Amino acid sequence: MNSKPIFAAALSALVLSLGGMTLTNAKSITLPTEAPSLKPSALPGYAKAQTNCVACHSAEYMLYQPPTAPRAYWEAMVTRMKAVFKAPIDDADMPVIVDYLVKAYGNEQPR
Amino acid sequence: MGDDTNRLRRRLIAGGAGALAVSGLGSLSRTAFAQATTIQLPIANGKRNMVAFPEKRPLIVLTTRPPQLETPFEIFNEGIITPNDAFFVRYHNAGIPTSIDGDKHVIKIGGNAAGKPFELTVAELRSQFKPIEYVAVNQCSGNSRGLFSPRVTGGQLTNGAMGNARWVGVPLKDVLARAEVKNTAKQVTFNGLDTAVFGGGDFVKSLDVSHALDGEVMLAYQMNGADIPMLNGYPVKLVVPGYYGTYWVKHLSEIEVIDSVFEGFWMKPAYRIPDNDCACVEPGTAPSATRPIGRFNVRSFITSVQDGARLRAGQQAVVRGIAFDGGQGIREVAYSTDGGQIWREAKLGNDLGRYSFREFTFAFTPDKGTYDLRIRAWNRSGQSQPMDALWQPAGYMRNVVERVSVTAV
Repeated sequence: MNSKPIFAAALSALVLSLGGMTLTNAKSITLPTEAPSLKPSALPGYAKAQTNCVACHSAEYMLYQPPTAPRAYWEAMVTRMKAVFKAPIDDADMPVIVDYLVKAYGNEQPR
Repeated sequence: MGDDTNRLRRRLIAGGAGALAVSGLGSLSRTAFAQATTIQLPIANGKRNMVAFPEKRPLIVLTTRPPQLETPFEIFNEGIITPNDAFFVRYHNAGIPTSIDGDKHVIKIGGNAAGKPFELTVAELRSQFKPIEYVAVNQCSGNSRGLFSPRVTGGQLTNGAMGNARWVGVPLKDVLARAEVKNTAKQVTFNGLDTAVFGGGDFVKSLDVSHALDGEVMLAYQMNGADIPMLNGYPVKLVVPGYYGTYWVKHLSEIEVIDSVFEGFWMKPAYRIPDNDCACVEPGTAPSATRPIGRFNVRSFITSVQDGARLRAGQQAVVRGIAFDGGQGIREVAYSTDGGQIWREAKLGNDLGRYSFREFTFAFTPDKGTYDLRIRAWNRSGQSQPMDALWQPAGYMRNVVERVSVTAV
């Protein structure tokens, strides 16, 4: 089985010699972009999370949290994203996003 | 890569009990992930994709953007040095460099306690200073976080966010000597080319000036005899031997000598541990005071057999593993085949230096039955590992005595 994903990023490590005078040592990579999507939900926070959260980071940050992660954790993270990382989240949207996150990924998931 | 897949399949067969599942990834885009594989880590919600990022073989994807990749544990049984293409990756912000001229890349050295600020290209770093070389483990602060009980939030890693490499570079001390460090200097800060998407929370770390000038902390430009992979910090990375990976700043571009204690987000409140001897608290509680995370504690792992493996009864099995600590060096590794009642001394392998993984082996001949293998290491100052796991809310510094259950048939 060929285990190399078809989107596996191209890599070019170039050593350019220009007229024997200049030697450069450049490296370029192309990163994979495919990542799991946010869990679809009828909750209003789903669309807000698509706009506000995955603009900066992929959804695995939420997806792989332990299912015990409580509402206080999701509140702290959304607050941190705005206060520390300057994510442009409307204050009015924050409770809605937290509600979606704890119900989609945290300890308020339907069983 | 075919070999990797075959090894995973062998482990699937050998491990049994669904220890590891390699399968198509049905729930995601069939075109994009058609040939991706998945791995089931031994934790709740532990299914992960395995993807080959640039300059990497397929690794366990903790996050795609920014990349955070964990090394599959069987790699640690292939040798004491972790190959560059299998070395774990941990970024904090998604603005990561993807194209760098490795010779022209500039490091700026300044700060309010540097008498003579200057700039240095990597070409100059290579040609104008005398290099040093050593083998050192890099380990993520949150390595093994997913194994905490009760579970803690954060990056849910198992034991693969560590690796051992031979680093070549220039002592930070020699570079800072040119900057004429003032006697008001308290700390040195380190920044790299990676940036935060909206500007807040840039990844900047600091060391006390005495540590920065210890002659061991280095500006590394070579890893295992090759350029450093882009995702590990090409073309130059701060190497802080014995200290957690959070200090090993990638794509190093800015060094500041300052007359104060730096308190950016990634030094405070991030990457803090309970300020007590065990760096631990009662599970579920918060520490009353914290300090920045520092040196590794002592760890040891069996690498040659996985939990749930089968051995042949009546036939001698040689079990192999690795041990390391924060820089004293490993003095002794003991093993038990009966869950910790009787301990014997394992044989240590070649000493590659006090910051390196140290190989150990022991042989035993099992009768039919199940054996609870335990491994415990001591460093040269007598520090060891707890029999029961310690706990702290950030999920750093796990170093419990590991157990591997094997059955002889």
